[in-house]
Amino acid sequence: MMTQYLDLLMTDYTLQIITLGTAVLGALCGMLGSFAVLRKQSLLGDAISHASLPGIAIVFLVLGVKDNNGLLLGALLSGLVSAVFIKGIISKTHLKSDTALGIVLSTFFGFGMLLLTYIQKLPNANQSGLEKYLFGQAATLLASDVWLMSSIAGIALLIVLLFWKEFKIVLFDADYTTTLGFHVKFIDTLMTSFIVIAIVMGLQTVGVVLMSAMLLAPAAAARQWTNSLSIMVFLAGIFGAVSGILGTAISASANNLSTGPVIVLVATFFVMISFVFSPIRGLLFKQIKLWKNRNDLKLMKTLMFMYNIVEDHDNISHPHKIQLLNNFQGYTKKSLKSLQAEELILLEKDSWSLTEKGFQVAKNLYTQQS
Amino acid sequence: MEQKIAISIDDLTVAYNYKPVLWDIDLQIPEGVLMAIVGPNGAGKSTLLKSVLDIIKPLAGSVTVYGKPYKKQRHLVAYVPQKGSVDWDFPTTALDVVMMGTYGALGWIKRPGQAQKKQALEALEKVGMLPFQNRQISQLSGGQQQRIFLARALVQNAAIYFMDEPFQGVDATTEKAIIQILKELRKAGKTVIVVHHDLQTVPEYFDWVTFLNVKKIATGPVAQIFNDDNLTKTYGINYKTSIVE
Amino acid sequence: MSNAQIEIQLILSLVAVACALPGVFLVLRKMALISDAISHSILPGIVVGFFITHDLASPLLILMATLTGVLTVVLVEYIQKTGLVKEDTAIGLVFPSLFSLGVILIARNAGDVHLDVDAVLLGEVAFAPFDRWMYNGMDMGPKSLWMMGGILTMTITLLSLFYKELKVATFDAGLAASLGFAPMAIHYGLMTVSSVTTVGAFDAIGAILVVAFMIVPAACVYLLTNNLKKLLIFSSLLGIFASISGYWLAHAMDTSIAGTIATVLGLIFFLVYLFAPNRGYISQWYKEKQQKTEVALLVFLLHLANHEDEMERNSNHLQEHINWSHQLARKVLKLANQNNMIEIENEIISLTPKGLEFTEQAISYITDNKNSELEGIKQNYFLFRG
Repeated sequence: MMTQYLDLLMTDYTLQIITLGTAVLGALCGMLGSFAVLRKQSLLGDAISHASLPGIAIVFLVLGVKDNNGLLLGALLSGLVSAVFIKGIISKTHLKSDTALGIVLSTFFGFGMLLLTYIQKLPNANQSGLEKYLFGQAATLLASDVWLMSSIAGIALLIVLLFWKEFKIVLFDADYTTTLGFHVKFIDTLMTSFIVIAIVMGLQTVGVVLMSAMLLAPAAAARQWTNSLSIMVFLAGIFGAVSGILGTAISASANNLSTGPVIVLVATFFVMISFVFSPIRGLLFKQIKLWKNRNDLKLMKTLMFMYNIVEDHDNISHPHKIQLLNNFQGYTKKSLKSLQAEELILLEKDSWSLTEKGFQVAKNLYTQQS
Repeated sequence: MEQKIAISIDDLTVAYNYKPVLWDIDLQIPEGVLMAIVGPNGAGKSTLLKSVLDIIKPLAGSVTVYGKPYKKQRHLVAYVPQKGSVDWDFPTTALDVVMMGTYGALGWIKRPGQAQKKQALEALEKVGMLPFQNRQISQLSGGQQQRIFLARALVQNAAIYFMDEPFQGVDATTEKAIIQILKELRKAGKTVIVVHHDLQTVPEYFDWVTFLNVKKIATGPVAQIFNDDNLTKTYGINYKTSIVE
Repeated sequence: MSNAQIEIQLILSLVAVACALPGVFLVLRKMALISDAISHSILPGIVVGFFITHDLASPLLILMATLTGVLTVVLVEYIQKTGLVKEDTAIGLVFPSLFSLGVILIARNAGDVHLDVDAVLLGEVAFAPFDRWMYNGMDMGPKSLWMMGGILTMTITLLSLFYKELKVATFDAGLAASLGFAPMAIHYGLMTVSSVTTVGAFDAIGAILVVAFMIVPAACVYLLTNNLKKLLIFSSLLGIFASISGYWLAHAMDTSIAGTIATVLGLIFFLVYLFAPNRGYISQWYKEKQQKTEVALLVFLLHLANHEDEMERNSNHLQEHINWSHQLARKVLKLANQNNMIEIENEIISLTPKGLEFTEQAISYITDNKNSELEGIKQNYFLFRG
């Protein structure tokens, strides 16, 4: 199947365009999504993508044609208006951000539905295809769309590189940034604008419903593998691009699979892998560390117990019977062996003795505890 | 002895949501003092710092730094925010955070280079954090995080340092180390202003103190004004010197 | 009105109330977006349930979809607990993936499942009257009417049984725990009710607009009152009003019923947002302006009280010193004069006895953090407000 797909990729121009488009889109969203995640604005993307629907419909109503760039411009405007509303609700009323997002998301989307159903019943039936913005249709990507996406991604990359230092410091500590003389509001607006643009670019491919995942998933996955912002943004771009390419490949090789959901699932797969297997933050690693600590603790307890016995003797290396340890629950053959392996004790048949090193380690533990 | 005035705050009034937080504050801070701002919770201590630093816009009043408006003198002022004000899970290293102290001097777009890195490493050394330069900041203890914040301000090489509760949630060693550095700064002729919680350490750590509770209660040398009378006026309860000693 | 029309309006009203009741608690508990997450992620549950039962109104399907909804909440909370990502990111990760899973399940089983993603997301209440429950050959009415009726009855029963617990748990979780009300049980109870309601309602209004039905009425009423009982009652009424007016509007424009109702809800919210007394935009704007002048007046009076020397109290000097614009300075001066707080002699301003009294009281209230009392003395002393 793999070779079949590769053959297809070599020959099918449309598939090439779609693959390129989803890759560029994934990279763009991954990169800008990192900022959204770090700004704790993960769900703003969801609200804005839903809220872009009426903008698309209004542009269509006004222009009466499906000029793609025009529709995207409508989506952009409507997304920005929704962002203003969200901010207004949060700052002027006592409603919290979750309610504000919920209100704007659902009522804008509802209004979009109203307009779409109105358009569908208009006599000039040239309107089918607006639904693609709901769930996205990567198959409708044209070379010109990919060009547009690539240019936007290029500009976004340029801006990110240019204002890297400013973005980083505002994300980390906005108040401090103010005291250094930077215009925080400008930096903030610049960042938000590009996030909104990325959302709008993705509507055609993955649709309003799933757009937020494109933004979040690659960034959330990337965060687990690194503690450096630059590597995180880079990795998020890669994860996004690979999700796009793999998602397109899978949906192209199977029947009846729309691209958007597959891309999202691939990205989610990356997230799951990262959550579990990341060596620095992953759950598996944490669990292993926990076990190891618990094990170490057991060994040290045994050592302390031995130290208590030995303490009163003049000769610390005097051998003692293993049976002496029977009052103590924590020891096993295995734990004694690992203590010997670390040269903390010496084992002989049925007796044990502390080494000089073992005595010192235990003594240190003792003073630390008291 | 005529001292130069580092900071002059005139008739500063600040309101949060149109509830007054600071009232008509007049405050002259002489150059070269190590000053504590004390007062009960909600007295507006942090707000005073933030409005001096133009993070919060005051309703009325003005702030001058060495005789000129603050906005023209930003480069003379360094700020250490409260440790809890940032997300310590942010993907960055100790060195990187300290480097941020150089951003102001760099201005827009220009990237930090070797010179800036050298400054940052020196500051890290001063606060005893050089071995931790590549640590992710979430893997630092509270005390270490506070040292990093101090180092970031030191890099700015300012004349005036504002610190918001630098001793909150830090270990005793760090507290000693930080106060040592602050005393060195004072010796070098810098002015250091610290929002402080622990009244008992005021006489030991500081030479200047401002009592604040929405209004300015008193300001001056610790030896002269740190007494029961002012403490009672500020905290509203009868303070006995015994508590302070 | 035809029978079908009456039935549709009945169903919509039931949906509106069934959504508004849990919605009030979601808004109060700052969990509004959980409804968004649930509404998307029930899709795989619906698909699998439909695959088995081939009936959107079957209890098994409702059960499976509800479980998916609760699973979403559990997953979100688990991810939040790991600390690997921030809280809201967890929500944003879980629901799109479950939703995608649902879409793909539909696509893979297209031959067997005559279920449309559009239908789940957007719903179509207009078809509801055609899917009827026949019992012993007798027409009992539309299935969804029975289903929503059942869900609403359950919600109201639970609400009246656990009203006190819900109230305490919502306003003070700590107190609830100490009273032995098991906040976790209440939390998951609420999540289950929200899930069931979403599952029951998606057929009529679609999953996404369930969010509008849940959140918007509660948010509107919350701008008008804090009283829990009023919140519950008026949210329900508002939901019914929006549903019925939205229905007729959609009828007139020939548009999506659910979309039109959501639009009506949005418009109502917008109006309330603008005009709500005390909490609306205009009222806030006016209050802020008034407060700003009045705080400025207090600053000014305090300044006069603080400074004995005439230099500081010279009217020309004031403006530069307090750093106010000419306009604000003039407004404050006028207000102080109108209220007989100051007198001006040879450009030197001084407090009148009344002004002094007011200022001293104001200061003592402010230092004691009694801002509400401040409003009180303003009422007593001010002839004119800012």
